[in-house]
Amino acid sequence: MHATICDLIMDLVQNSIEANAEAIELILRETGNQIEFSIKDNGKGMSKEVQAKAIDPFYSDGEKHAHRRVGLGLPFLIQTAEATEGRAAIESKEGCGTRIHFCAEAAHVDLPPFGDFASAATLMMSQMNSGELRIVREASGKSYTLSRTELEETLGNLNETQNLMLIKTYIGSQEDNLRKAG
Amino acid sequence: MAKLTLDDLRKLRDEKKQTMNQRDADNKSAEVIIGMGTCGIAAGAKGVFDAFLDELEKAGIQNVTIKQTGCMGLCFSEPTVEVACEDMPRVVYGNVDEKTARRIVREHLEGKSLVSDHIFDKPSTDIIKGDK
Repeated sequence: MHATICDLIMDLVQNSIEANAEAIELILRETGNQIEFSIKDNGKGMSKEVQAKAIDPFYSDGEKHAHRRVGLGLPFLIQTAEATEGRAAIESKEGCGTRIHFCAEAAHVDLPPFGDFASAATLMMSQMNSGELRIVREASGKSYTLSRTELEETLGNLNETQNLMLIKTYIGSQEDNLRKAG
Repeated sequence: MAKLTLDDLRKLRDEKKQTMNQRDADNKSAEVIIGMGTCGIAAGAKGVFDAFLDELEKAGIQNVTIKQTGCMGLCFSEPTVEVACEDMPRVVYGNVDEKTARRIVREHLEGKSLVSDHIFDKPSTDIIKGDK
């Protein structure tokens, strides 16, 4: 299992990027005692057979590394859901894209800590080279939205160190505002 | 901190650009690529990224871009970081924790000397050829 929820989300968004998605939407919501996220992409998707295999930790399509026999991204998602009596769902259509949904009780003793979202979101935003990554973040009745193309228009090359620092500060300020009471 | 808007962000960028231009810049560019596959993330690559950002800012080093890649196939030596610095050999570092990331900034990017005890030796392509 990943050490934090943010690590788990980063891993799944990376799957979308590696599936050549041009549009990814991450919605991450903390409401009352629930934590919930969904990731929707228009990447290459998976056939029913590949979907069944993808949740097996000892399966990898072998395209990237011929000798690799493990693929732990989706198994970690399912493991986390099972350990926390939560729910994980994967819907995918070959050639169309994939949608992942996760939800669990925020206070469950086996739920990994949330993690540093500002840093995770900075990494996700700068990992995708083209296309749109939209992040909708909601907590305690407040919300904010991030858009990769908007950040790129504002700052230029998102991989430059200076810009990465600015994005992290920017997202950090949105997170602070979300956590502030009232 | 007050909630920033995109306009604030644009202003901050312009301010940073100005201070950067005032410094005596060494114009050689460098690229740092962090492995962010499941294995990299699980081994703490996010903390390594934070350490790189922090140390680069402290050192005032410019012209560095930080990119990410998926699994490099070296899961056992994660976090792995590839550093390409002008006029220096391209190097893959293995088992890079936050402390090592800071050393890479100070010794490799700033001091132009390799962090030898973390270099991951890639096998020569002629040895692994035909083994796919």
